Amino acid sequence: MLTIIQNTFREALAKKIFIGYYIFYAIVILFMFFAANTDSIQGVMALADAKQAVTFVETGFLAIAFPLILFFSLISTSSFFPSMLEKGTIDLMISKPISRFNILLSKYLGAVLFVFASMVFLFGSIWLILSAKSGYWDVTFLFSIITMTLAFAVMYSIVILISILTQSTIVSILVNFFLIFVLCPILSSREIIIFPLIQNETVQFIFNFFYYIFPKPGEIKDITISILSEQPLNFWKTTAGENMQMTSAWMSMISSVIFCITITAASIYYFSKKDY
Amino acid sequence: MSAIIETQNLSKVYTARFGKGNVKALNNFSFSINQGEIFGLLGPNGAGKTTLVKILLGITFPTNGDAKVFGMKASNHKWKMKVGYLPENHRFPNYLTGEQVLGYYGRLSGMKNKAEMDKRIDEMLGLMRLTEWRKTKIKKYSKGMMQKIGLAQAMLSNPDLIFLDEPTDGVDPIGRKEIRDILTQIKSQGKTIFLNSHLLSEVEMICDRVAILNKGDLIKEGSVDDLTVSQDVFIIETGTPIDNESRASVLSIDSNAGIGESEINTSNGIETANRILDIFRSKRINIKNFNQKTSSLEEFFINVIKKEDAS
Repeated sequence: MLTIIQNTFREALAKKIFIGYYIFYAIVILFMFFAANTDSIQGVMALADAKQAVTFVETGFLAIAFPLILFFSLISTSSFFPSMLEKGTIDLMISKPISRFNILLSKYLGAVLFVFASMVFLFGSIWLILSAKSGYWDVTFLFSIITMTLAFAVMYSIVILISILTQSTIVSILVNFFLIFVLCPILSSREIIIFPLIQNETVQFIFNFFYYIFPKPGEIKDITISILSEQPLNFWKTTAGENMQMTSAWMSMISSVIFCITITAASIYYFSKKDY
Repeated sequence: MSAIIETQNLSKVYTARFGKGNVKALNNFSFSINQGEIFGLLGPNGAGKTTLVKILLGITFPTNGDAKVFGMKASNHKWKMKVGYLPENHRFPNYLTGEQVLGYYGRLSGMKNKAEMDKRIDEMLGLMRLTEWRKTKIKKYSKGMMQKIGLAQAMLSNPDLIFLDEPTDGVDPIGRKEIRDILTQIKSQGKTIFLNSHLLSEVEMICDRVAILNKGDLIKEGSVDDLTVSQDVFIIETGTPIDNESRASVLSIDSNAGIGESEINTSNGIETANRILDIFRSKRINIKNFNQKTSSLEEFFINVIKKEDAS
């Protein structure tokens, strides 16, 4: 298992897309570094409460960057499975004394751990810059490393299933794009956007059904922001107030994990039955 | 000798979507391979050779029948510790160097002792004459070098059974000779080799036993000697030219005998050949050579496939 995980890291580092991926992260980190050194930001930091200022920057960063980083991570790792499933590669791996279950799980873990390491680099650097500049050292922001990796692990299970069924990198990227930027945000805000327009109970049931079934990467981001800004977190999501303000809910994370387990189990089943 | 590989009525049908254009790759295929044999599997393209190897290695699943390797079900991965495999058109991670490829597949093969594995890697690279290329990324390797590194990875864990699918594909004649010598050397260590190859002359040189597959059916199976010998054709070579009187006597026994200046061949079997020998002896003509005619494996293979296709 460790051998395949190690090789996934090697593959990740060897692929040119990762150079672009890390250049992007380095630019983000440098931007944060220079921004923290500008006179205006230093002035705001000096005037405002350090905790408030740091939380404001961190939550702002997460709100904008979370879905983008998630999608970039998926793009850069989406070729791992199709390349492993190529003729001449997969047959040799299956001929070795490793179960198909272990092959699939190791590759999956390899990709997840690689993204985890990348998140440690990105979020760790940003946290260091902000903390050193403000003098406010609070490790809560580092929780984003976990939630980002979790969101990636959930969405990456879709990449695996699609790769096994179609062996296509493009299809898995397109499906993930559709889910992260179109379907999941619509389902998450169905009570605010869709239900006032469509009163039909059957349609509402279908939307609710899909909402609970599908993963919720956007809401995992909301949970992270809620924890950072010390907002309340319920188990079930609630809509409250005049502005239909929604509170984040652990349910979003739990249902996403259940989705991930189900899709990964389906992938393992198909992979163990498939002829290569 | 104990059978290492055994199949019983193995069948494989590749089903197309909506059931149209199903392909029968193997049809009730039963055979066995004993320990220490070099077994050659022959057949035209699409005969089912690679499918058979893939079923034996658990890469593809049979539609019907049973396949056992080392007495265990082919789909079980536990026996694979004793097996090496070189697939046709293999693709190794091209970002790895030669020695990294061997290290990677060695660990996947269950080699846990690093020092022992490093020693084996050195040996294999030396055997394949790739030592000076060990630190070079394999994307820079030629086709022949790729085959050699593939063969090295198949042999790395010192397996008891090695499956080789077109091992000399793309290798130059010198390299082919080297690979043949290596295979003979492995055989002398009591290892079993399952060889799929289009190069019939090579199979003839290396293999103890061969099977011919065509359209999923097993057509012939036997030792190379048994298959290449032409049962009823005998050649008699004399030390002196055959005189007219002797020619007439031979033709009286076998009117279809081919008579050269000092050579006769008869296709009427061993009894006729003996009667011709008796004529020569009675006339005190020296017999220089007496042989049963053999055909090359290639000739035999082409004849068998032609007959099969015609029927």
